Formats: sequence, structure tokens, C-alpha cells
Amino acid sequence: MIDSTTNSRFTNKQLIIIYTIISLVCLLIVWELVARFTSASMFLPPASEVLTAFFRSFAEPIGQHTMLFHVGISLYRVAVAFLFATVIGIALGVGMGYSRLFEAIFKPLFEFIRPIPPLAWIPLSILWFGLSDTGKFFIIFLGCFCFITVNTYDGAKNVDPELMGAARMLGANERQVFFKIVLPSSVPYIFAGLQIAVTAGWSAVVGAEMIQSNEGVGWVIIRGMSTGNTVQIMVGIVAIGIVGFILANLTSALERRLCAWNAQKGI
Amino acid sequence: MVEKKQPKVQVRNLTKKFGDLLVLNDISFDVQAGEFLCIVGPTGCGKTTFLNSLTKLYEPTAGEILLDGEPVDLKKHNIAYIFQEYSTMPWLTVEENVRFGLDIKGVEKQKANKLVDEYLDIVGLTKYRKYYPDQLSASMLQRVVIARAFATQPELLLMDEPYGQLDIQLRYHLEDELISLWQRTGTTVIFITHNIEEAVYLGQRILVLTNKPTSIKQAIDNDLPRPRKIASPDFVKLRNEVTDLIKWW
Amino acid sequence: MERSEGNIKKKNPVLECRNVGRSFDSYDGKGKNEVLRGMNFEVYENEFLVLFGAGQCGKTTLLNILAGLDMPTEGEVYANGEKVSGPAPERGFVYQKTSLFPWMTVEDNVGFGPKVRHLPEKECKERIRKYLDLVGLTGFEKSYPSQLSGGMRQRVGIARAYANEPDIMFMDEPFGHLDAQTRYMMEEELQRIWQQEKRTVIFVTNNIEEALFLADRIILLTNCPTHIKQEYSITMQRPRDYVDPEFLRLRQLITDNMDLTL
Repeated sequence: MIDSTTNSRFTNKQLIIIYTIISLVCLLIVWELVARFTSASMFLPPASEVLTAFFRSFAEPIGQHTMLFHVGISLYRVAVAFLFATVIGIALGVGMGYSRLFEAIFKPLFEFIRPIPPLAWIPLSILWFGLSDTGKFFIIFLGCFCFITVNTYDGAKNVDPELMGAARMLGANERQVFFKIVLPSSVPYIFAGLQIAVTAGWSAVVGAEMIQSNEGVGWVIIRGMSTGNTVQIMVGIVAIGIVGFILANLTSALERRLCAWNAQKGI
Repeated sequence: MVEKKQPKVQVRNLTKKFGDLLVLNDISFDVQAGEFLCIVGPTGCGKTTFLNSLTKLYEPTAGEILLDGEPVDLKKHNIAYIFQEYSTMPWLTVEENVRFGLDIKGVEKQKANKLVDEYLDIVGLTKYRKYYPDQLSASMLQRVVIARAFATQPELLLMDEPYGQLDIQLRYHLEDELISLWQRTGTTVIFITHNIEEAVYLGQRILVLTNKPTSIKQAIDNDLPRPRKIASPDFVKLRNEVTDLIKWW
Repeated sequence: MERSEGNIKKKNPVLECRNVGRSFDSYDGKGKNEVLRGMNFEVYENEFLVLFGAGQCGKTTLLNILAGLDMPTEGEVYANGEKVSGPAPERGFVYQKTSLFPWMTVEDNVGFGPKVRHLPEKECKERIRKYLDLVGLTGFEKSYPSQLSGGMRQRVGIARAYANEPDIMFMDEPFGHLDAQTRYMMEEELQRIWQQEKRTVIFVTNNIEEALFLADRIILLTNCPTHIKQEYSITMQRPRDYVDPEFLRLRQLITDNMDLTL
């Protein structure tokens, strides 16, 4: 238990930020030392080199584009797929949670698709969509769609029956119960799903960009691999990590805004 | 009135601030060994902060709490708590729940067995020893918690409104059971509640708290003979007296 | 304000419970659990009826059936002469857990009923204003339930039920989760609200003080299967005093008649 009255020069929030920074700096130092002074240096470029290359990549292009463009194009692919995944995932999840019939029809199909890793679809995706962006959307979509569906389904299943009863008692019809009770009370669950999904989708981008492409952070890595450029691989990894971190924080900030009523519940 | 020896518990100038907000304001009182003390205050009077300071969950801003003349140390002193939530472990049987506290205190096995048997018998749950909490009613759960607390033979028992949600007959019944257990074991009890009638029914002494910042408004001795009758004129008189000190509604 | 059973129009019951029974399939699916048996009683216009009994068994089930949220397996319930077959806005419900919609502000909660029934905007607004005022929460329109204290949430719950202007109000241990003092306050409040805006109220509780403080009539229920053990007409003048000798006498009388379920 963190006592809010600890007589300290820092607030809890500041302390957490300080510890985060210390942890990152330690990681970089260990990385640097390991890469410079052990036999791992064969495969692991030192942190300083990677970071320099990373910052340079914003000015000097890797392949035909600078890092900003690679990140942008990858983000665009994730965004499109994510949008589709959100719409379909929420519809399917709420549907399965609310209607028994819907559940009976779609749950088995869904449970069948769920355990298949997105990368396993790559060969089929190439057959179906060729080498176009559609195939990449498809892979990323599969990477995030399941998380959204499962969470939404949980949310819709867990609606307090008393709340539905209260709404019916007040004269709400089934459509109103669905839109005014079931949907909003699933929102915190949906957001939990979106949060996992956005990171999952972002990490699927590497796989998706293994399919013939000329740009994107995934491509940066794949390209680094095929040319034996470990620094470039690490630069791609660093970029993916940083963007993933930012995305996760953005969604949780958005959640705090939209689900204010839920956040206060715990206090 | 309890005879004045070295008090079991001494609370000295207990003060607690959260930032600039004064929550507990210079609280001092003693509890004699074997006493049953009720503490009652208005809704939102900082009861929880008070209790958490007593149990050292919060470090008080100033003041100290002494048990037998030494600062309270949860590792050394045996203090038991009973809260409103029936804090039984759902994955343990009734007897395992009662044994739980003993195991934590490192009581040797044979002695623990004996104590478990004894206290299950006292609260009348011997028959249900192999049951899981899920299979028991609210009152049985509350008895498991009480058996668990008493079995560790605590030096001090802190109770925080344990009967708040029970219906009246059950409450009477469990209150009577508590009194008889207390009389049998001579445990020192501090019982915190919002229910004035309950405080008057149970306590040998009633400590009335003020609203925030919490301080002691008055201490009232309660010599009414037991078993107490809630409709007797003396009882009603004392109840009214406490009510007048607290009433905000 | 004085009111005794003489004022109640005994002639036309607004709610009739005819031989109602309810059984559930037992957990192992082999047998039946009988929860309610042979419930027969009427409720009259503007009467404050308390269903009082110990334990968790049956009371809420009975209330749900009366309100139309659950169906009896035996017997029927009639509201104003018509058989109850489902929930309806003519019957308002106040819950134990308050069951406010946590994502809606206080005013949206109170306005929910009128809005889903598509009353004119102006009427909705007027009702929100009127009933928030009735429960003493003017100024909290924009608050969320999580920002309110337990007592205030229950006030919102009462205002929400009132906003539909129902004929009958069902209250399922609405003060069960409040501390003893807040409870006294809410009991006085409810009495004031009820005297100001008369409704037929069916109130479930396991708290004898609450029952005696509020009721025109108390129906004492016994446990498993729940059935009626005794009825008491309470004619003490309002407002009542919790430590009045007559109050304490009745309290003892009824408590002694309860079943002790351990």
C-alpha cells in the first residue's frame, strides 16, 4: 500500500515517472555493456549505435523512405485493419453476448478461428489477395479482431440483470434495453479489448509486411534481416516498441475520458 | 467499572492528517484488560481512518498506541480483527478457515487441532467443519470468522460493525453469543459501530466520537445488567442520551 | 400529518395476490425448490404495505412476481383487476443495490423512464426537476452515481421510480446497504416523500424498526417456503418514535413471532 501521506519531496506520480526513467536507463546501460564487452557483440549492436542509427533514420532514408514515413505507412495499415476489426468485433461480440441464437450460430465458428495465429494465414492471404495492401489489412485484422470480440462478448454477457430489469420496469422496450443498457455497460470491456487489440494489431504489422512490400517498419526489419544489417533490425524493433508504447498509453487515456463513470467505481 | 490497573491499551494523542486535512484530532483513551469497549460516532466520522490507525495500517501523524505499555507491533502482539465483510477464504473449509489464523501465528499442530475443535464447538459449527463457505448461511459465516478470531486467543479483538447487514433476530443471537464468548475468555474487545442501540446493548463503556476531524466527544459508562432489555426504561434512557450526542439526521 | 388504516379504501384493491407459489428447479436438476407457497393478500390504494421477514429466502422473489419481473408457477397477480404478465411503467421499482445506470448522470437516470416512453421533451424536463426536488437533490443533476453517497444514490433511485408516476411502487430493501444512522434519515425522508406524493407502496425489509416506522400494515413472512405467518395493522400516529413504548412493544411482539434461521 502506498501511503499518500508519506513525507516525501515527490508525489506518487512523480515517483512512478522517476522509477520508469531509471528502469529505462538501466536497460540501456546493461545493453551497451553486454554488447561491448561480451561475446554477444557478434549479434547484438550496442545501444548507442542503434539509437544513433534510429535518430538518423528520421533524416536519412532507409530504402526509399525515412523512418517517419515507414512508421506512418505501418500505422495506416494498422488503423484500417483496426477499424474493421473494431466494427465487426463489437457487433459480433455484443450480438453473441445478447442473443442466444446469434451465440449458437457464431460462437463455434469464432472459437475455431480464434486459436489460429495470424501469421498462419499469410500463405492463404497471398493466394486470396495477392501482394496488395488488402492482404496486409487481412493479417492485421485477424491479429486484433479476436481480442475485441472476446472482450465485448464478456461485457455483454456480464450486464447486471438488475439494470436490465430496472430499464424494463421503467418502460424500455428490447431495442432500448439493448442500446441504452447492454451497449454502454459493455464499454469498459470493449475498451479493455481495444487496448489489447491495438497492441496486438501493431505487432502483427511485422508479419503482414513480410508479404512483399517496400515500406513500413516491418519491412525495415525484414530488409535488415535479408541484408544482414543487425543495426537496422534493432532500429525497426526500437521503432515498433516506441510506437506500441505510445498507442497503449493513448488508448488508456481515451478510456479514462470515455469511461469516467467506471474509473471512479473502485474508490 | 473495570478496576484501574495498567491499562491493556493506551491511545495517546492519536492524530492523523492526510496532507493538510486533519482527520483524527488528538484522541486519547485507555482500554482496561478484559473490557468491552464500544465506539460509536456519526456517519462519515472517520471511523475507518481511526480503525486503520489503531491497526497500524496507517502510520499516525502524531501520538502513539501502546499495548501493555509497549508500542503496538503486529509481529509481536496478537490482535484479531472482525470486519463487516465475511472475510473467509472461499477455497478453505470451515475448519481450515479457523485453523488459518493459528497457522499464521505458528501454533504447533496438536495445540492448533485442539483449539480448532474447541472453538468450532463453542460456535456450534462442529457438524459443518468440512463445508466450504459457499455452502453456509450468512450467520454461519460470521461464526466462522468469530471462531477464527477467538481461536488465536488474541490480546485485543477489534470489531468493525460485524453485524450491519444481518436481520434483527440473527443479530440479537450473534450479539448474545459474542457476549458469552467474551465473558468466557476475558478477551479485550473494541467494537466500532454506527448502530447506537447495538453499542448500548454490548458495551461496558461507550466512546462517542465527533464528526471530522474526529475527536472524543464523551465517554459513557454502561452498567446496565446483562442480559440487557432493549425496551427497558434505563436502556431507552441511555440510548437516547447517546443519540442526542450523535444525531445529525 | 395523521393517517390511519381507516383512510384506506378497503373496497378496491390495486393489487391482488391470489394463491401465488413459485418453485425453481433445484441445482442438481432433479427436484424442485419451493420458494413461495399459497400467498394470498390484497394491497389497497395509497397503502404503505411492508413485507417483513428474516433471511434471504423468498421476499425478493415475491416482489419480483408482484412487479411482473418474474412469473409465479402457481396462482396469479392482478393489478387494477388485470392479470400481471410483465413489467410495466405503471409499476415502479426501487432496488436494494440502487441499480442506477452508472454511465448516466443523475438527471439522465431520473429522466430515463419518461424518455424511453417518448414523453414530450418539456414533460421529461419538468418531471426531472420535480422529482429531484422532491427527494432533495436539486443541484446534483450533472453528477454521476459514483460521485454520490449511498443515501443520495437511494434518493436518485426513488426519484427515478417516481418520475414515471407509477400507481404502485415496489421497494426491495432499498436501505439495506446503508449504515444505521443514514438509514434513520432515509426512513424519515421516505415517509415525507410518500406523504407529499401519495402512492401505493410495497416495501420489503428485514429491519423491524424500519417496518414499524413506515408501515400502515406489516405482513410477516416465514421462511422456506415463504408464506404469510401474520398480519399487523399499524395505527400509530406519524411521525413515529423509535423508542416510544408502544413502538418497542410492537417490535418485541413481531420479533418474537419471527422464525430464527441460523
